[in-house]
Amino acid sequence: MQYAFEIFYLALLAVIISFIIFFYIFSRKAPKKHDTDLKEGPTEADVKHGMHRNERNWLYFLLAVLLLGNLVTLSPLIPSANHGLWTQSTPVMTITIQVDNHHFIMSQQPITIPVGKVVEFVVVSHDVTYGFGVFRKDGTMVFQMQVVPEPYKNTLMWIFDQPGFYDVRSTEYSGPQNPLMYVPNAIQVEG
Amino acid sequence: MLNEDERKILTLRFVVVSLVFLGLGGVEGTMMRGRVDNLDTPLLGLDPQHFYAMLTAHPFVLIYGFAYMAVMGAFYFLVPFVLGRDIYSKKAANASFLLMIAGVMTVWTTTFITHYAPLYTLYWPLPVAVTAVGWNPVSILPFGVGMILIFAAVLAFFFNMFATIFLPLRPKASSQPKPAFVARELVVTAFNVDKLRAKIRRVPDYASKVFTFPVFVVGVFRGCVDTTINAVIMGGVGVLLSTYGIAYLLPSMALSPTLIDPLIYKNVFWWGLDMIADGNVLMFTAATWYLIVPLLLTRKLYGENVVRSVILADLLVSMGVWGHHMMADTPQPLGLLIEGQIVTWGELVTMGLTMFAVLMTLWLARPVKYTAPLKYVLVSIMGYGIGGTAGIIQANYAVNRYFHNTQWIVGIHAHVQLLIGLGLTIFAAIYALFPMLTGKQLSERLADVQLILWTVGGLVMGLSMGLAGVVGMLRRMLYINGLGPFQPYMNAALVGAVILASGYAVFLVNIIRTVGFKTILSIFYAPHKEFQ
Repeated sequence: MQYAFEIFYLALLAVIISFIIFFYIFSRKAPKKHDTDLKEGPTEADVKHGMHRNERNWLYFLLAVLLLGNLVTLSPLIPSANHGLWTQSTPVMTITIQVDNHHFIMSQQPITIPVGKVVEFVVVSHDVTYGFGVFRKDGTMVFQMQVVPEPYKNTLMWIFDQPGFYDVRSTEYSGPQNPLMYVPNAIQVEG
Repeated sequence: MLNEDERKILTLRFVVVSLVFLGLGGVEGTMMRGRVDNLDTPLLGLDPQHFYAMLTAHPFVLIYGFAYMAVMGAFYFLVPFVLGRDIYSKKAANASFLLMIAGVMTVWTTTFITHYAPLYTLYWPLPVAVTAVGWNPVSILPFGVGMILIFAAVLAFFFNMFATIFLPLRPKASSQPKPAFVARELVVTAFNVDKLRAKIRRVPDYASKVFTFPVFVVGVFRGCVDTTINAVIMGGVGVLLSTYGIAYLLPSMALSPTLIDPLIYKNVFWWGLDMIADGNVLMFTAATWYLIVPLLLTRKLYGENVVRSVILADLLVSMGVWGHHMMADTPQPLGLLIEGQIVTWGELVTMGLTMFAVLMTLWLARPVKYTAPLKYVLVSIMGYGIGGTAGIIQANYAVNRYFHNTQWIVGIHAHVQLLIGLGLTIFAAIYALFPMLTGKQLSERLADVQLILWTVGGLVMGLSMGLAGVVGMLRRMLYINGLGPFQPYMNAALVGAVILASGYAVFLVNIIRTVGFKTILSIFYAPHKEFQ
């Protein structure tokens, strides 16, 4: 997913940069005859409800992006939105992890998890704010959450779709010791 | 009272100091890039505590030392210039100058000497976690005092801006409105209550009172509303840290960190901190575009009435955007997470309309003869386009699960938006103001070279960091056992940082060869001889 996203964003970037370059080139040229209507800006007649037609169309486009973007990204189509907002399944296991003095304290290591089943992580910090991030062996992130200290419990449901070993890191800065909060092979997904 | 020449000197002082802070922040930034890249040289081989202390000072130096001081300097000249009146208080203007330097230097010195490193995020109770993290307890108080000084400077500036815009000059005539009346009008117009009243009372052809001000001034006062809230909240955090700092120094005055709820604190903190993004970054930028572009093209801003409404409507958006910083906090109420996403996407509409107005103004002025400020504005729009869309993408519940605290946030969103969006807007203002302030013209050719180096450097650095974030590289993280798959991205980011720094060097050369180093120094000790 990450790589597909990378391509999507680079394409978007290319569009923005190209637009500015072409805008620069063409705005240095004199307008063609039929373009001169708006040369002095929109007149009273061009403007309805305080907006010119072009501006209104642009506003509608932006509103459509806002609406569609929110509908899609909050929908069950996106796995993390599905897990967080739409799925009400009961976890097959709950894994509780304590964090104290810059150490993850786990009941077993590696934590063994079945593939394709809903599991719940409950992470509790006894001093400062940490992060709890699970990473694949190639360094890409599976998920993460902030670990707000007590009295709060930080919970997250997840389904691992690939067996193998996963690393855990603190994804939030918790002091200069934070880079040491790395537990390789902390989780083993079986199945 | 300040005459125009004194205002010019005041502005030049702000600008020169801001550029010194930009250089300082840039050197630190490059050193940190080298450390992240695990370059083991005597200069770059920072130990983690020193690295994080530098990372703590970095945003304070660049946001407040560079960006705020440049903005303050520019507006101290431009607002009176546009309104045709004097700055309300000379004392407040000088106080904001001195307090800001003192504040930034106090924060910087504290982190440099004590290696105190809670980062700018200051998540509770990290800044006061002496036992858990091992801070030197003596460092908390001066850091808190530094923050108080910075935000006192910001408040002195905003008081002066509000007063210059809305209050009658002293000594005032008896028929002039009282400050309380002006303050009430300010709040009423800022929140669009007057428009609502007019609609209910069916007042035809209603125009808001602030519509009588030039659109640039509306943008300035509107940005000041957000940034005042920012200063109050962040100054409050400074007071909180100072109080705990004193408690650590006086054992009889024990204060437990658990007195503060970490989640409520985080919400209030981000609510206040994000106001700077809306006020300083977006609104002041928009105001500067609205002034520079029509002024240089000698034509009206396109869709000015819409722009004025957008400026005011955006205030409502800015009140609700902080939630996008909390999306990885699972104890946060779900409603606030969703609200944070939807409202943040509202920025797409307000900023989109802002850019549209500026681009249409340019387009209708074809054939445009691009001078340095116009080129800088155009490329800064590109910076906001890239950084802004990255911000919208990350500010959603689903994607944030992967992007939160990765290099994506700090690279493509923060650095591209700040360096290319805000940075180039500030440079555009400097290029536009320079002839008015000094009577001399900066080299257009060097301005072009700087623009290319700065933009390419900023893009290469920001994109390399951001794409490393896409594949999982965390921000604020030292990979002390090696960067692994992130190494190529970080090498490219370091190259980008060096190109960026060379753009800054070209700018300094341009300034120094135009006015001379001696002249620059003279504005601090013998200003009257040089620029009058």
